[in-house]
Amino acid sequence: MSSADQHEPASGSRAISPELQSLVDFLGQTLPFNELDPDTLRASAADMEVIYHRQGERLVTGDGSGLRVVRSGAIDLRDGQNKLLDRLGEGESFHLERLNQAHSEGVTATVIEDTLLYHLPNHRYLALREAHRDFDRYFHTQRSRRLRRAARYESQPHAMTQAVASVMTSDLLTVRPDTPISETARAMTARRVSSVFVMDGETLAGIVTDRDLRERVLAADRSPETATRDIMTADVRWLQAEASLFEALLTMTRYGCHHLPVLRDNKLCGVVTTSDLMLARQDDPVFLVQHIYRQEEVAGIQSLLQGVPNLMVQWVNTGIRARQVSRVLTAISDAVTVRLLQIAEARLGPPPVPYCWAGFGSQGRQEQLLGADQDNGLIIDNSMGEEHADYFQRLAQSVCDGLDTCGYPYCNGNVMAMNPEWRLPLAQWQEKVRSWTRTPTPDAVMRVSIFFDLRAIHGDASLCEQLQQTMLSASSDNTIFLAALAQNALDNPAPLGIFRRFVVDRDGQHRDSLDLKKHGVMPITDIVRLHALGHRVAAVNTDERLLALEQAGALAKVDARNLTDALHCLQRLRLQNHVEQQLRGEKVSNFLNPRNLSKMAREQLRDAFSIIHDAQAGVRLRFRQGMG
Amino acid sequence: MWPLPWRRWRYRSRVSGTVLARCWEAPAPAARRPWVEQRFLVCDAEMSSLDVNEGELLSLGWVAVDGGRVNLASASHCLIATTGSVGQSAGIHQLRDCDLEQAGSEADAIDRLCEAARGRVLVFHHAPLDLTYLNRASQRHFGAPLLLPYLDTLAMEKRYRDRVGQAEHNGGLNLTACRRRYGLPDYPAHNALVDALATAELLLAIASHRGGVDREGRSKPARLKDLR
Repeated sequence: MSSADQHEPASGSRAISPELQSLVDFLGQTLPFNELDPDTLRASAADMEVIYHRQGERLVTGDGSGLRVVRSGAIDLRDGQNKLLDRLGEGESFHLERLNQAHSEGVTATVIEDTLLYHLPNHRYLALREAHRDFDRYFHTQRSRRLRRAARYESQPHAMTQAVASVMTSDLLTVRPDTPISETARAMTARRVSSVFVMDGETLAGIVTDRDLRERVLAADRSPETATRDIMTADVRWLQAEASLFEALLTMTRYGCHHLPVLRDNKLCGVVTTSDLMLARQDDPVFLVQHIYRQEEVAGIQSLLQGVPNLMVQWVNTGIRARQVSRVLTAISDAVTVRLLQIAEARLGPPPVPYCWAGFGSQGRQEQLLGADQDNGLIIDNSMGEEHADYFQRLAQSVCDGLDTCGYPYCNGNVMAMNPEWRLPLAQWQEKVRSWTRTPTPDAVMRVSIFFDLRAIHGDASLCEQLQQTMLSASSDNTIFLAALAQNALDNPAPLGIFRRFVVDRDGQHRDSLDLKKHGVMPITDIVRLHALGHRVAAVNTDERLLALEQAGALAKVDARNLTDALHCLQRLRLQNHVEQQLRGEKVSNFLNPRNLSKMAREQLRDAFSIIHDAQAGVRLRFRQGMG
Repeated sequence: MWPLPWRRWRYRSRVSGTVLARCWEAPAPAARRPWVEQRFLVCDAEMSSLDVNEGELLSLGWVAVDGGRVNLASASHCLIATTGSVGQSAGIHQLRDCDLEQAGSEADAIDRLCEAARGRVLVFHHAPLDLTYLNRASQRHFGAPLLLPYLDTLAMEKRYRDRVGQAEHNGGLNLTACRRRYGLPDYPAHNALVDALATAELLLAIASHRGGVDREGRSKPARLKDLR
């Protein structure tokens, strides 16, 4: 121990020289030192030592424990079996002793580029954790818990929570109680409004609507000269200006009215109508889906869908979670598919035998985001005869073409109902599944990974269920097939080193960027599908599969939760990336430059990859034991 | 050149009882021991001119290296009150006359430096310039030059580059260029203390590269004498 350590003054009484502010600024940008106030940060900087390590050096725990922050260079962390756990670069920190406690086999830190480190001695590190809650939280919450918090983060704003005052009409038509009905009706026509307020001086006496004119005047044979007072609704429901749109909707639903006067300080200040509410709910996907079903032409659907990217931006901005956004986007593509099928059936006539239109891949799992291509197929009833082939060929072709027109491009792998291989009677499908599982060639495994995520979109859903049952029984006890599927799931190792630019795509348009779908979402869905097939779980959605696996005791609760959180985290980053691309006017893609991420997002991404890495290790153990 | 104890001899009575005398009492550095066992004080001085006959010391910055690590708590900086105006050098070193109003005397700065330097080897990047100024100040204050053991990272790097046939000239040996060769980051601001820290990190880097790393990844530190 050096003399400076022996004569250390009490904590808090010192601070680093102000001339070294740039060093303090650097620390202040790293996690979790960014949580510290400036005085504590300066004091902590004074507690540190600067150490230089040469490439090839291996750091050992004996070297004085504590927290190490990489100032420059790169360090690999590996477990006892020499598997890469993490690759650390500038601004990232690690605590070797704590890592060793977490990994029974011991963690080694190897310098892969000459590295300059700031080292905070352990007693200072512990003192900081003791004194600063936010700093502490970063460490004592395990990485998976940190991720869970991020995945569950949700902000509340929603269109329906805004005040009625923001959408009401304040330019009001009022009449006196003794105004003749004919005059009231003419005023309403002139102003093109459907309701009028009857004011007795400053007081709201009642309301008259178009319906009252019909029911209480024309249908009741009343004279147009009658005073308006006689036909008005006197017991008027009203709202305060601060009430939310949601309250307005509830009131209207409950009392069956379409117009609600709005009062401020007991004075009439406006009116809110059902159409005002509809306008406010333009970003509501229900609204969009209803409109899709009303379209008679592909072109109509296509033009409706052009607004979807903007809607997605709004949903994300109002804090709707990635999981919900992907469900909604899937619901929209389902609606488009169903409507295209209905349009085609109307043109070609009713189907000669029952069929089921099935969605595969992300549509099957209900995890679609923007830019998804189509993956679909037709399962036709076994009673199908040769003479029916033409009908289904034309049906499939017209729907696939329509989907492409609407922005769901043709599938590169030709997984589409317009391809005769993906348009078969149930019995042939079942035979195909059995042959895939008997002889799991790489091609078969690739097809299976798309095909096993299937969901009935339209038609006879029992065809889809029967096929699914065949799949589960053909695969769940077939260890050779599961091992092949496991190999496929392991072929895409978690890119733990992305932040050092080693694993990202090196060429082409997406240089230095990471494919979040290929390296993040797909490995998770592959792993979860594998477990689901191995345990006869019929669910297709990844969250639902994980829940079922957890309940069946097939996966430990913590593992299931971690995978769920990792998936949501990745989907959220994908979605945010899509939103940013959309706002920049670019085509959406799943490529992301890790350098453009915030520090927190990078940490979360790294955590997600660590979880994938662990889950892949689990797969190796469970499904590929003895297979090398 | 005579060894330091011999050169100190003629000044012994003049410096008696001063901080400098206590520095001289410390044992000589153990040249054959690993460098990490030696304690260092890495210094940088800012001055108003490169010509010692025209310029004055403006500030001193230093930081200690113990056990092969820079101790940031030891980082110190002193501003020195000058007799003239800062003049042209202010543009380089970002010191202004008004900053210098909080400055102490040159004598105080030298006292504090010597206090921190006890038992340590001084380190500079381009020692001749800094030492010329410091020795003048020491002469004025103690009646003797510093006569303390020192290393010069610029000279270390130059000798090494010459030896491996990659001679560097002028700009290639300035602090920033040397640091880049060892993968050390650039520091935006410059003052005597930042430059002293930058030099200290460079010392660590050069020293690490003079030593070795064995198969188990353990570093084998070079001997102090091999750093030169």
